[in-house]
Amino acid sequence: MTDMPLKPAQQSRLRIFLDSDIFYMFKKSPVAILSTIVVAILVLSAVFAPLIAPTNPFDPASLNLMNGFTGPMTPNAFTGDSFLLGTDDQGRDVFSTILYGMRVSLFVGVAAVLFAMVLGITLGLISGYVGGWTETIIMRTADVQLTFPSILVAMLIFGVAKGFTPVEYRDQMAIWVLILAIGLSDWVQFARVVRGATLVEKRKEYVEAARLIGRTPFAIMLRHILPNVLSPVLVIATISLALAIIAEATLSFLGVGAPATQPSLGTLIRIGQGFLFSGEWWILLFPAVTLLVLALSVNLLGDWLRDALNPRLR
Amino acid sequence: MLRKLSYAALIAAFAPAAYAEEFTWAVTTDPQTMDPHAVNSAPVLGFLNNVYEGLVRRGQDMAIEPALATSWELIGAGEGWRFNLREGVTFQDGAAFTAQDVLFSYERAASEEADTSSWFSPVSEVVVVDDFTVDIMTTSPNPIFPDSIANWMIMDSGWAEANDAVRPNPDGNYATLNTNGTGAFSITNREPGLRTVLEPHADWWGEAAHNITRAELTPIQNPATALAALLSGDVDFINPVPVQDVARLKNHANVKVIQGIEARVIMLGFPHEAEALKYSAETTQANPFADPRVRRAVAHAINVPAILQTTMRGTAEAVNQLVSPAMRGYSDTLGGEAVFDQAAARGLLAEAGYADGFSFGLKCPNDRYLNDEAVCQAITAMLAQVGMRATLDAMPVQNYWPELRADNYDMYLLGWSPGTFDAEHPIRFLASTPNEEKRLGSWNFGGYSNARVDELLPIIQSEVDDLKRQAMLDEVAQILQDETAYVPLYVQPLVWGARANIDLVQRPDNFFILRWVTVN
Repeated sequence: MTDMPLKPAQQSRLRIFLDSDIFYMFKKSPVAILSTIVVAILVLSAVFAPLIAPTNPFDPASLNLMNGFTGPMTPNAFTGDSFLLGTDDQGRDVFSTILYGMRVSLFVGVAAVLFAMVLGITLGLISGYVGGWTETIIMRTADVQLTFPSILVAMLIFGVAKGFTPVEYRDQMAIWVLILAIGLSDWVQFARVVRGATLVEKRKEYVEAARLIGRTPFAIMLRHILPNVLSPVLVIATISLALAIIAEATLSFLGVGAPATQPSLGTLIRIGQGFLFSGEWWILLFPAVTLLVLALSVNLLGDWLRDALNPRLR
Repeated sequence: MLRKLSYAALIAAFAPAAYAEEFTWAVTTDPQTMDPHAVNSAPVLGFLNNVYEGLVRRGQDMAIEPALATSWELIGAGEGWRFNLREGVTFQDGAAFTAQDVLFSYERAASEEADTSSWFSPVSEVVVVDDFTVDIMTTSPNPIFPDSIANWMIMDSGWAEANDAVRPNPDGNYATLNTNGTGAFSITNREPGLRTVLEPHADWWGEAAHNITRAELTPIQNPATALAALLSGDVDFINPVPVQDVARLKNHANVKVIQGIEARVIMLGFPHEAEALKYSAETTQANPFADPRVRRAVAHAINVPAILQTTMRGTAEAVNQLVSPAMRGYSDTLGGEAVFDQAAARGLLAEAGYADGFSFGLKCPNDRYLNDEAVCQAITAMLAQVGMRATLDAMPVQNYWPELRADNYDMYLLGWSPGTFDAEHPIRFLASTPNEEKRLGSWNFGGYSNARVDELLPIIQSEVDDLKRQAMLDEVAQILQDETAYVPLYVQPLVWGARANIDLVQRPDNFFILRWVTVN
């Protein structure tokens, strides 16, 4: 710190963060520290996959089918090539495929949660602040959607969207359609929480004051209410991220998600499942463990965050 | 302890009696219709062979044997064939079988709406001589005609008329879901995609060799799931067994693997007639596959031995023509086939003006042939290595055939098993110029056309001398190879799995015949 002096503003912000309750609780929680480290490692290795991975599994021209079904750390009988975690049925290096697959999974997960968050917050703010018919329509829609399992809703949206996509773009569009499907199936949680919090906040004096000085409803919602309802949203977003990653894996596992030529973790598990009886366990096991570790650590982090932000649990 | 014992006694006393002759089997593809004339595909015809019957049928060794006809002979010098029908046969609803039903079934199966009409391209007329004699007249002498109609199934005319199913309907009618055949089994419950229940036809004319009282067909699309069901005893028979599991399954005490080479050749097809590629990012004004050099480059680019070794685990055999060596009329004289050679493939592409390659769309089924999607993925990678960048679109077979019929492909995967077990069959269906009137080339999706092939086909069909016939078949095989009309890849293996207490017969056409099953 000493040889890299910070600007006063930055310094004070960092100071505030380091002195905050939340950071103090973080330091006290081994679970939180561990899961943060795991998530950080996984995210970084996904982001820098092209630098870490020995091969590019998304480039079909680089594959050699004769390398198929090579066991972990054992040289292939025909080509003599050796792979850290073995290869799958197409001769793809499982380690590289996991790194690239995790990229797809994380990207879809984060983007879907962001999409759900923006949609949910907007609709939640509007229905909480405006009330009346607008609120009834939005919240009853949310209630109806809640009665369906979200994976079913996502499959429905995916199916409809795929029907509208021309075949030649289907592979490129599959990722975006996945994001749309998972995001649309997940906005309800955000909308309900934000609406509840907005109903509480809009009766407080500072909102009244803002209204009195003539600020527009849009400005009040965005500048005054939103910052005060964000902390529960943060908790939901973290937990939703774990759920979205699993939802993506489920969809891809069922064969309706990421295409086989650009596999996500779920696609890899689906491919590996076909070779479980024949003894090629590594094709299934390594992607499955990666998915488990990723989803578990994000979830633990979310749980910790929920406890940490809940004043009643302190 | 006592209670446990009594439970065991209870199970021992009741279970075998209740389930002994019930038989459940699982397949990847549910037969898409119950109408024997609506779809000419093996899952449909193979299944319906248990319910409907033809004039002739194939025995365990694939030889033609009497079924609804007891005997048949050539009329005159070959103007047609006379079939003497079996008397005392009843349909499953009790109606009697007569020559009128044969005439009706001919008109139905040869109609424009039927997918089976090309079987009758040599037929000029069907004449009812009396109640139990039918003459089928042919336009020219046709020595293999009885061989070619083993899958032509006879439907009751009265039943079809009463239920408004006189013609097959691709969109579905009464006969799509209901059946009324003369076969050994009748369908008591049909739930498409879920289950189909069969029970023995009490008044069947034949001697029942099976001991089944109730049979159930369940489609299980995922081969690993089907295998798990077989291992746990939920089903008694599965087709196919995933090739990767064969080695392990052979050591399993409760399960057996029945293996053979199927008559089915897996190949790649091309849009010969198309003006331009449909799914290309840059080649939108031209069709590279119209150039035989590009098609031959495809053949050079594919490492078939690697597919056989890795994806098919050594269970399949390479092939250089549209039929397997086990078929009548297989060409031994064929020479100059394209072997795996990436440099040659690149050279041919450059010669054809595609030195930088091009992108296109590859269509593939994912529930029809053994490892079809994995094979297509491997092909995608191999083609990419010489510059042909394919976008793979794999789909269930239900959507697959309509897509091919609508010309929505730049290259496609096809498996062909000649119903007649003769090399003439794929020429008629896959290599003849499509001609609806003559009912030729009905599965020649790409519209491949060669005047010499079209000229030879009718001569092959009526040639009685085996040597002369073979010379013409050799010539056609050589033309198809020189022009790379298709890229034949390999002969698909037959891998069936059954519980150890099941006795059954595997026919090389992959038809599963229920009346040869014994539950021990």
